[in-house]
Amino acid sequence: MINVKQLTKRFGDLVVLDRIDVEIDKGDVICVIGPSGAGKSTFLRCLNMLETPSSGQIIFEGNDLTDPKVNLNLHRQRMGMVFQQFNLFPHMTVMDNLTCAPIMLKKEPKEKAEARARELLRRVGLEDRADAWPSQLSGGQKQRVAIVRALCMEPDVMLFDEPTSALDPEMVGEVLEVMKNLAKAGMTMVVVTHEMGFAREVANRILFLSDGAIMEEGTPQAIFQNPQCDRLKGFLAKVL
Amino acid sequence: MSAWLTTLHQTFIETGYWRQMLLGLQNTIMITLGALCIGVAFGAILAICKYFSEGNRALRPLEILCDTYTTVIRGIPMMVLLLVFFFVVFSGTRNKLGVCILAFGLNSAAYVAEIVRSGINAVDRGQMEAGRSLGMSKLQAMRKVIMPQAIRNILPAIGNEMIALVKETSVAGYVGVMDLTKMGERAKSITFDAVNPLLVVAVTYLIIVLGLTRLLGTVERRLNRDKR
Repeated sequence: MINVKQLTKRFGDLVVLDRIDVEIDKGDVICVIGPSGAGKSTFLRCLNMLETPSSGQIIFEGNDLTDPKVNLNLHRQRMGMVFQQFNLFPHMTVMDNLTCAPIMLKKEPKEKAEARARELLRRVGLEDRADAWPSQLSGGQKQRVAIVRALCMEPDVMLFDEPTSALDPEMVGEVLEVMKNLAKAGMTMVVVTHEMGFAREVANRILFLSDGAIMEEGTPQAIFQNPQCDRLKGFLAKVL
Repeated sequence: MSAWLTTLHQTFIETGYWRQMLLGLQNTIMITLGALCIGVAFGAILAICKYFSEGNRALRPLEILCDTYTTVIRGIPMMVLLLVFFFVVFSGTRNKLGVCILAFGLNSAAYVAEIVRSGINAVDRGQMEAGRSLGMSKLQAMRKVIMPQAIRNILPAIGNEMIALVKETSVAGYVGVMDLTKMGERAKSITFDAVNPLLVVAVTYLIIVLGLTRLLGTVERRLNRDKR
């Protein structure tokens, strides 16, 4: 589904990602772990071209997103993204947050977009907050709305950039629960996270990113029970 | 008190000069509104051009052009700009009011451009990213996501600009445009009453500014209805 080839990202002289190759298949739930500053977020943001790679290719469903001629906006509609800071639109109600993109970009009738939004809100337990303003929601509720906003575009893949890092501890669970259900429903997901429990339980593959390279990659079992490289061993010793 | 009222009556009613004062007020309002329309429209265009050309090498000339415009205009006193418009650019024009509106409008645009630019920059970067990640083009995200939020940051400063503009139009009389101040001056020289014409002029400006302040307060409250 997403094929990353020799992805390199430099900020000035600093090489953040160094010739990364990854293949993401349909139905994959991939967790990206690693120390801070390793380039995890940059990697994720390159997948939907929020960061422009310095070199290399991102092939999404057969289209090279790094090709300047490709219509990025069209492909981004099929890649949902969830941000650490939620980034809900504060000047719109929850319902407008959810329906503005489908109505504007997919020319959906308002009733259809709202019906889907309500159904998805119900699934994350927020059906009664449709008319609230984002400022009236808790962090956990905001993030659940943000997930639903991305889902409303009916994407083929969901990208999560540390979705629980800005949350109070007691709200982490409700967001992870929504993500777990999403994974169970067969959504293709790439998750940058510090939640090792979630990675172990939900991911089918884990990438360990350090110093701009994928140092190790494998099933949760292999990564957590039988780490090979010293960097990963050291990292796990600190976080587990 | 009654002596003062008698003087007022003599100065404005007996001479029929109140009509001229009203005409002056009308001209002041026309210059202000006209200049404001030009200023806001052109200023917003300048700011958006700058926003899109920043960090885009192909649009670098556009960025330089916008920067030069704001620098030059902001660096020249309004009075001088007005004189240049009247005696160089549009010398011999008959439509004095039109040239005046254009001069004030183009001057105002430079300030509005900076106000709008800083208002846009104050919106969190994540907002544009969220819009883009949903598949919006930069322009769509600008319209639907950034501008509605930027307007909240912009409005109070635009209010200040409006107030400054109303008062700045009082130099229009210098090039022979019959605005409120000019009419007051004339009333003074015709009636030999130095106090009352100026008093009336000053109070009129004050009332306009007070009205604007209240209007802006109302609009601001309506824009902020989603804030707790």
